[in-house]
Amino acid sequence: MEVLDCLGKRCPLPVIELAKALKSKPIGSQIRLLSDDPASAPDLIAWARMTENTVKEIGESTFEVTKLTD
Amino acid sequence: MALPHIFEVSWPDPTKLGVDSKSAAILLNEARETLAGHLGVRSDEISFLGEPNLGFHLALSGLLSPGARLVYSNIDRMEIFAIAENYPNLQLATSSSGEIDFEECTTSDVVSLQLCNRETGIIQVGRPISCAELFVDATASGTRIGLPENWSAALWDSTSWAGPGGLGILAISKKANWKNPLPHLDGRINPGPTSLPLIVASALAIDSWVADEKNLAEKISAINSEIREYITTKIPDADLAPGGANHLISASFLYVNAEQLVTILADKGFAVDSGSACNAMNMQPSHVLAALGTLTQGNIRLTIHHATTFEEVKIFLEVLEKTVAELRA
Repeated sequence: MEVLDCLGKRCPLPVIELAKALKSKPIGSQIRLLSDDPASAPDLIAWARMTENTVKEIGESTFEVTKLTD
Repeated sequence: MALPHIFEVSWPDPTKLGVDSKSAAILLNEARETLAGHLGVRSDEISFLGEPNLGFHLALSGLLSPGARLVYSNIDRMEIFAIAENYPNLQLATSSSGEIDFEECTTSDVVSLQLCNRETGIIQVGRPISCAELFVDATASGTRIGLPENWSAALWDSTSWAGPGGLGILAISKKANWKNPLPHLDGRINPGPTSLPLIVASALAIDSWVADEKNLAEKISAINSEIREYITTKIPDADLAPGGANHLISASFLYVNAEQLVTILADKGFAVDSGSACNAMNMQPSHVLAALGTLTQGNIRLTIHHATTFEEVKIFLEVLEKTVAELRA
């Protein structure tokens, strides 16, 4: 799985970079996002709700994102 | 209250003898009656605090008898979180629409109830809460919402009626089982003395604020709806926090840096606050937004004042829409 390393990057950068990385990918693609910003956990959940994608926190500072819509 | 003569005679100590001190004591009493009247409490139930946030500790630590449990919510103020660390406690979750279920409370609990959340405007009223003692945080609601029947202690912030900052009003109900948590030898609730000028200014402010609020409530409600409607329909990827009070709105914009947004809006003459991490001293996002599941990035908090006009709001919304688009580009 593709890994997007956003460790050390401040909000809103991790979510912006995630959206960019997903843009050209087909529906069903998955990305593992690494982010230790304190806003990332709540904001990735909100992002997934707003953009109708899914995100799962699978470990410390590690999120698994699945693209469900374009 | 009219602007009194005391502004010209250098604020004598109301506890001393002498003609000017007596007139200061009369003035303090008038101010107390005025404030108590608007807040719906007895004048002998209120104390003035030079540091409003000290009231959270005075009220709650005074109500929490040994072994009692403090029940509060995850959108309460950080001051309440800090106090909870010292007691058995239960933190209640808030639903994504802003409701808190107090069903778990028992009649031996001390409950902290925030009438209005100062970030979002979420209001908790209506359902009675059964508990031993009920503390009411009225710092954001001010005179807008009355106290529940079974209140034990309540705290207001003078700024909520456009009064001076640095003045809190703490009411302890005569029915409450409250013990002063501060070292004390007499019946005073706070060591004092509190600034008489601030108290008088606050009483003057509350009189005019309450009169204005009656006339302007409808306008403020209409402005609130207009802002919400505009953000929902015209600005893509926006997330509005649940609200309730007409004067407060919290909105977040995906892919936007809040610090940049607040700075640009300030340059254009609009003062807005933010709950985003990049705008906070501790670099943590607002715990209120996180608890509600509202987006925390690109967040702005709007307060609609009595003087706010439809024309200003129209310009603000156009500037906001344009700025959000530019920051995303």
